[in-house]
Amino acid sequence: MLEIEEIACSYGKIEALRKVSLQANAKEVTCLLGPNGAGKTTLMMTLAGILKPTQGDIKFEGQSLIGLSPSEIVQRGLALVPENRLVFPALTVRENLMAGAYLRKDRAGVANDIEQQLNRFPRLLERIDQPAGTLSGGEQQMLALGRALMSRPRLLLMDEPSVGLAPKVVAEIFGIIRKLHQEGTSIFLVEQNVHMAMKVAQHFYLLQQGHITFSGTPEQLAHDDLVHRAYLAGKSASH
Amino acid sequence: MNDALCITDPGIGLYTQWIILSLMGLSTWIVLQTGRISLGQQAYFGIGAYSAAIVTVMFNGSLQQALMLAGGCGALFAFLISRILRCFNGLQYALATLAVAELVRLALSAWKWRIPHPKGHEVGPDGLFGFREIRWLFENQIRPEIYLTLSAGLLIICLGVIFFINNTKLGLSIQSAGFDAELASFQGEPVDALQTLTQTVAGGIGSVAGALYAHQATYVEPAVFDVMLGIHAVGYAMLGGVATPLGPLLGAAFDLGLLEAARIFDGWRMVIFGGVVAILLRWRPGGLLNPAVLYHIHQFIQRRKIHEHSKFT
Amino acid sequence: MMFEFLQRTLEGLLEAGPYALIGLGLTIGFGVLRRVNLAFGAAALLAAYLGSWLHFRWGLPAFAVWLAVIGSTVLVGLYAEWVCYNSFDKSTMGVRRLISVFGILDAKEASVIAASFALWMQLEQIAVNFQPSHLHPFPDLSSNSYFFWGSFSLRPDRLSAFIFSLGLISAVALWLHKSRAGLGLRAFSDSHAAAQMCGMNTSHLRYIGTTLSYTICGIASCVVLSMDGQVTPMFGMWVLLKGMTCALLGGLGSLRGVLGGAMLLGITESHAQSLWGPIGRDAATWALLLLALVNQARQNSYPINSAGVQYE
Repeated sequence: MLEIEEIACSYGKIEALRKVSLQANAKEVTCLLGPNGAGKTTLMMTLAGILKPTQGDIKFEGQSLIGLSPSEIVQRGLALVPENRLVFPALTVRENLMAGAYLRKDRAGVANDIEQQLNRFPRLLERIDQPAGTLSGGEQQMLALGRALMSRPRLLLMDEPSVGLAPKVVAEIFGIIRKLHQEGTSIFLVEQNVHMAMKVAQHFYLLQQGHITFSGTPEQLAHDDLVHRAYLAGKSASH
Repeated sequence: MNDALCITDPGIGLYTQWIILSLMGLSTWIVLQTGRISLGQQAYFGIGAYSAAIVTVMFNGSLQQALMLAGGCGALFAFLISRILRCFNGLQYALATLAVAELVRLALSAWKWRIPHPKGHEVGPDGLFGFREIRWLFENQIRPEIYLTLSAGLLIICLGVIFFINNTKLGLSIQSAGFDAELASFQGEPVDALQTLTQTVAGGIGSVAGALYAHQATYVEPAVFDVMLGIHAVGYAMLGGVATPLGPLLGAAFDLGLLEAARIFDGWRMVIFGGVVAILLRWRPGGLLNPAVLYHIHQFIQRRKIHEHSKFT
Repeated sequence: MMFEFLQRTLEGLLEAGPYALIGLGLTIGFGVLRRVNLAFGAAALLAAYLGSWLHFRWGLPAFAVWLAVIGSTVLVGLYAEWVCYNSFDKSTMGVRRLISVFGILDAKEASVIAASFALWMQLEQIAVNFQPSHLHPFPDLSSNSYFFWGSFSLRPDRLSAFIFSLGLISAVALWLHKSRAGLGLRAFSDSHAAAQMCGMNTSHLRYIGTTLSYTICGIASCVVLSMDGQVTPMFGMWVLLKGMTCALLGGLGSLRGVLGGAMLLGITESHAQSLWGPIGRDAATWALLLLALVNQARQNSYPINSAGVQYE
C-alpha cells in the first residue's frame, strides 16, 4: 500500500533521513520504532507532504506522492495524527471534527461520521461544544485521532500517540488503535513505547540515525538481541 | 580631497543626519535585543529635542548641559514607561509604545511655555507651532564640521559601550532574554530588570538623537515625532541587520543613500525606495547584516588569522 | 447638560458604524493572517484616490465609484500580500525556518511589519503622485438635514451607516460560523499546521482572508468618504489608526468586540472633542487604547495566543 523508496531528507546540511526504504501493507498496523533524533517525525512529516525529500520516492497505492502539497496528500487518502496532537484550540470539539471532513462534500455522511466518532470517544461527546484547547492531553489525542478519521483515510499515520500521556490513557488509545485495525483501517504508527506497540503492530521497522536497521515481525523483534537490549529492558534474547 | 570627503555644508549635513538617524535606529535596536519591538522611540526623540532646546534657548545653557539633560530626561521617562509596560510583550508592547509616543506628541502639541528673550521676541515651546529659534550653534559659531565631529563622537561612544557590554555576562543575559524570556527567567536571569535597563538606555540614546536634531535643524515641531519616525527607526534596525549594533547604521545609510540616489526620479523616490526595502526585507528577513552574514565574516577573519599565523610557523 | 451629554453620546455611537467596518477588515486580516499590516490604510487611500478620479474626471456615479474603490482596494491588498507575506507564510507546521531572534515576535514577523511599512510609503507616494492636490471630491451621499428622535437630533446618513455596518458585521459573523469556507478560515487562523493536515489549501485560505479583509476595507472607505464627500492624503493613516484602535479595544479577532470597540471609540471621541478639541480627541483615543491594553494584560485575557484568535 505504502512504499517508501530510499527517501533522504535534510535540514540544511544535517541529514535526518538517509535512503530509508520501507513499506506498509494494507489492513496492517506497521510500526516504526526509534530513539529520539532517529528521524521518525521527519519521516512522518515527509509522508504528510510538509517536508520535501531531497531524493527517493514515496508511492501510495502505486502513485507517487512526491511534490504534492499536504492537502493533496490528504485528498489521496492519507491522514496524519501528529506528535503534538495539534488540535484547533479555539474551535469546539464539534468544529474540530468538522474541520477533519473539510474536503468532503457529503453533508449527511459527515454528520454520520461525527456521530460515529463521538460514539467511539464518549469523552468527546461530553465536551462537544467545549473549545479543544481546554481538553486534557488524552482527550486532545482522541480528538486529533477522531479528526483524522473524519476524512475517511485509507492510511492513517500516527506519530507517537502515547507521548506525554498517563499509562491509563495510553492503554485506552492503543485499545482504540487495535479496534480501528480490526475494522480494517491501515495504520502506520511511529512509537517509542515498544511494549504497547507490540500488542497492536504486525510489522516493525527500527530507525536509527536516519537508517533502517531492523525489519521484521513482533516475534523477530522480541528475539533480536540488539533491539531487545535497547527497547525491551535487559532480558537476553537467547534465553 | 575636501571634495572627495564631501566637506561641503550639504554633505556634512547629510552625514550629521545619518548619525542622528543611526542613533534612533540604535535606540530601537537595543530594545530589540530583549525581544521587544518598540514603535514609540520617537517619544524620546521629541523629549530630547524639547528638553535640550529649553536648556540652550530659554536658560542659556551650553550644548553639553543640554545633551546631558536630554539624555537624562529621556532615560527617566523611558524607565517610567518600561515599568508601566512591563507586563506587555510582542505586539501588545509594540502598540502600547506607539500609544505612549502619540500621547507624548499630542502633549507637546498642546504645550505652550513662552518667555521673553533678551532680543525682544518670545521663545519656548509654542504648541502646534513647535519650538523655534534653537540657534545655539550659530550663536556660538560652531561650524558644521565640529558639530559632525561631536555627533560622531557620541555615536562612537554608544557603539563602544554596546560592543563592550555585548562581550560581558550582562550582554549574554540580555541576548538570552531576547531569544526566550521565559527560558531565561527559568535560568535565573532577571528578565524584567534587563528589559527595564535596555529600555532606559535606549530612551536616553533616542533623546540625545533628538537633542542633536533640534540643534542642527534650529526648529522642531511635534509633527516631526510622529509614527513615521518610529517605524523608520524600526526599519533601520531591521534593514541593516539585527545581529550587530552596526546594523542600524547600515540601515540608516541605506535609507539616506537610496533616497539621495533616487532623487533623480523626483516624485517617485518613495515608490522606488518603498518597493526596494519591502523586497529586501522579504529576501533577507534578518536584515543585511544578519547572523549568517556575521558568521561568514567571522569565519573569514578566523581563516585569515590562521593563514597569517601559518606564514610564521 | 444631561441632554447635551446624551446627544454627544448618541452622535459618538453613530460614528461607530464606519469605525467598526474598518476595524472589522483589520481584525479579519490579523485574525486570519496573524500579522499587523501597516499597508492596510495606504491601500484604502490609493483606492479612494482612484474612486475620486473616476468620479471627478469621468463623472462616474456613486455606485460605480464604490465598486471601483472596493475592487481596487482588494487588488492593492493582494499586491501587498504578495510582496510582504508570500514567502513568510510558506513556513509549515508552525515552524519558522529562521532562528527566532525576538521571542514572541520573531525575526521574520518583525521584518514583514517593516516591509509592510515600506509598502505603505510606496502606495502613499503613488496615490499622491496620481492626485497631487490636497482635497479630492468623492461622491457625496451625506445628508445635511436631521431627523428628530424625541429631543435628540440624528443625521440619517450616520444612522444608515451604523445600521449598514451592523448588518455587514452580522453577515460576516454568520458566514464565518455557518459556511465551510468560514470554518476553514477560522481553523486556518487557529492553527496553520493543523489546517494543512486537514487537507485545507492554506494558500487559498490566505487569499480568501485577504480578499475579505480588503473588501470590507473598501466598503468602509466608501461609507466614510461618502459621508465626508472628500478624500485627503491623511485618509490612509486615519484608516489604519482608527481600525487598529477599534480592533484592539474589542480584542483582535473578536467580531462582537470590534463593534463594541468602535462604539467605545466613537463615544469617547465625541465627548473628548467637545471638551478639549481635536488634540484632546486624539489623546483620548490613544489613552483609551493604552488602557485597554493594560487592562487586557492584567487580566491575562488577551485573545491573541500562540494558537491564533477567536472569532466570536
